Amino acid sequence: MHKKMAFSFPDEVLEHVFSFIQSDKDRNGVSMVCKSWYEIERWCRRKVFVGNCYAVSPRMVIRRFPEFRSIELKGKPHFADFNLVPDGWGGYVSPWIEEMAGAYPWLEEIRLKRMVVTDESLELIAKSFKNFKVLVLSSCEGFSTDGLAAIAASCKNLKELDLRDCEVDDLSAHWLSHFPETYTSLVSLNISCLGSDEVSFSALERLVGRCTNLKTLRLNRAVPLDKIANILRHAPQLVEFGTGTYTADVRPDVYSDLAGVFSSCKELKSLSGFWDVVPDYLPAIYPVCSKLTSLNLSYATIQSPDLIKLVSHCPNLQRLLVLDYIEDSGLEVLASSCKDLQELRVFPSDPFGAEPNVSLTEQGLVAVSLGCPKLQSVLYFCRRMSNEALVTIARNRPNFTRFRLCIIEPKTADYLTLEPLDVGFGAIVQYCKDLKRLSLSGLLTDRVFEYIGTYAKKLEMLSVAFAGDSDLGLHHVLSGCESLRKLEIRDCPFGDKALLANAAKLETMRSLWMSSCAVSFAACKLLGQKMPRLNVEVIDERGPPDSRPENCPVDKLYIYRSIAGPRFDMPPFVWTMDEDSGLRL
Amino acid sequence: MLDLNSYGYELREGLGPFGINVNTNCDSCSSSCSSSSSGGADDGGGGTKKRRLLDEENQIVPKTLPLLFWTNQRPNDEDEPKDVDDHSSSAIFKNDGEGLVGWPPVKAWRKKVRRRVANVRAAVENSCGGRASSSTYVKVKMEGNAIARKIDISLHHSFESLTTTLMRMFDISDENGQKSFKLTYLDREGDWLLAEDVPW
Repeated sequence: MHKKMAFSFPDEVLEHVFSFIQSDKDRNGVSMVCKSWYEIERWCRRKVFVGNCYAVSPRMVIRRFPEFRSIELKGKPHFADFNLVPDGWGGYVSPWIEEMAGAYPWLEEIRLKRMVVTDESLELIAKSFKNFKVLVLSSCEGFSTDGLAAIAASCKNLKELDLRDCEVDDLSAHWLSHFPETYTSLVSLNISCLGSDEVSFSALERLVGRCTNLKTLRLNRAVPLDKIANILRHAPQLVEFGTGTYTADVRPDVYSDLAGVFSSCKELKSLSGFWDVVPDYLPAIYPVCSKLTSLNLSYATIQSPDLIKLVSHCPNLQRLLVLDYIEDSGLEVLASSCKDLQELRVFPSDPFGAEPNVSLTEQGLVAVSLGCPKLQSVLYFCRRMSNEALVTIARNRPNFTRFRLCIIEPKTADYLTLEPLDVGFGAIVQYCKDLKRLSLSGLLTDRVFEYIGTYAKKLEMLSVAFAGDSDLGLHHVLSGCESLRKLEIRDCPFGDKALLANAAKLETMRSLWMSSCAVSFAACKLLGQKMPRLNVEVIDERGPPDSRPENCPVDKLYIYRSIAGPRFDMPPFVWTMDEDSGLRL
Repeated sequence: MLDLNSYGYELREGLGPFGINVNTNCDSCSSSCSSSSSGGADDGGGGTKKRRLLDEENQIVPKTLPLLFWTNQRPNDEDEPKDVDDHSSSAIFKNDGEGLVGWPPVKAWRKKVRRRVANVRAAVENSCGGRASSSTYVKVKMEGNAIARKIDISLHHSFESLTTTLMRMFDISDENGQKSFKLTYLDREGDWLLAEDVPW
């Protein structure tokens, strides 16, 4: 006889309760409580997130979640952004689209990151999902404007088309005209990555004009400055806007037209674009600056004085992306003007130059950390750093959740003391107790990893380059960082010992990337043999790893947990180490 | 060196994907429900240390053993070269203009112009602000000559015409020029490419 439990609710009640639980993590937690909750939860999960497309197969996902409406998939490892993952490695979305096309006519949203998407897949999406609403492709490649045309033509309920940072084959600009004249549901359009010069401005204007719910519009560089006014006139309700090229011969009529149109955009909160920007035209945006919360000037090659003027007009700024032209002086002004700043990214204007071309140093970061009490996320490229500055920054801003520092020259020591920057980064992890993401640079010994292993208990993602002395460094991280999910390492003297001693840890993480390190082929084979739920991929463009001695280090290693087993879409330069003697060609 | 025979590894029995014990009866889970874990396949926690939600008294979840025990000694000198330069490989830090792959870590997508031949002209280094976006002035430097000169690329329609003009600007005589000078351009990735490799 079943004991009556006080909390044995009928399924419908539980389902209703679960509908308030949106986050993936919480949903996973709910499903682990007991078998019946697992069952109820899987039937009512509407959004599926797969952080590594090879961790699970499409069929497994579809089997477990029969009724999802939205899927998010990530493919290539993060270092693919920096050309470290050879072309053809993988991350193909077609198997997923094909499986879902059959099983899920009601799929509404697809979000992909770092995946290879083909025109065929886009056409299949357009054909298969009648209520398709959202397509977000982030850092994807492999498709052309033909695929986009198919989406435009068929997806009558499309609300969002976002192609951020994609590589698109621009075959024809006329894909935009494939949106039928009756189509009006667009809410968000981001085509900033498109290179085509032949964007049909009239088609764009008409599209913008009839989509009265349009809130986000990010144009590509090809849209000239004098076209923006017309476009904005059709969409004064825009909340987020990205300009095209922001340069033109200075003409008072064009200027006043632009300024007038910006004034009428009362809802504008976010601006981006600004390619080739001419300082003379910047004041046209002043009318909207006081409401701006997000400003992306990472393509704006203007100098510090103009940047300072602009930034001083934006007291409500929460997010700023900018080139290092802003210099320390500009960051000091930012620190005093923008007290709501939460995220700052400073990119290098001349990343490959040997000498500094701007006066941007650690002082800028110190100033911002002192002046902006809400600052929690930083990506900062600079050419010098000191332990003293890092300790100050850490003390000023213990609420950092993301701290990514890139000192441009590898292994740069503390410029004041010539010591490694261990103590400085140690302070960051010690003071910033909620740190989730950290990127290291500069001269670093095993000691910094000891600090990280000891203090960075909430750290989820760590990026390491040209650091450490020995396996001890890697061991500290793998044994100490309890929340670690993603670890990416390049050019560090980490070898077999730490990896093998912490093999079990790898099953608790999403993935580990190691390139130009010292992990031997033998160790890779051993890991592959002994850890059936890890895919151990050796990526080596020099040829099969068994054509070299076993103790030879592999070029690149990508290890990720998976319940789908080894994949079968590998190119010739990728080998999976598995149970059957370690080498599968 | 590796001792491949030293330590064994035990698979976890009875746990389905994501480590859930799918055989558990719901009624018995009430006592073992705990809030110690945030749950999910992403649950970090070093594996062996945190209590799994579904530990039952009578079922011991086998621990996964490391494949190699950490000895806590400093690694042998013979295993890893102490001289870090060996691995960092001074060969990598070439100073002949070739940078490290993927360093500094700036997103590559902005610079993948090489692929698209049609957009090669966008790789022209444009240092003149204040002009229309189709600005076609290019800075040209000659090796050994400190002064850079500007040339309007739109006035030329072939490499011959461009090189002739450049040779005149830099005072290179005809026979010298053809043989010993090569025209290169800087693309967005910071690489110097031979100009003749791509169509005009």
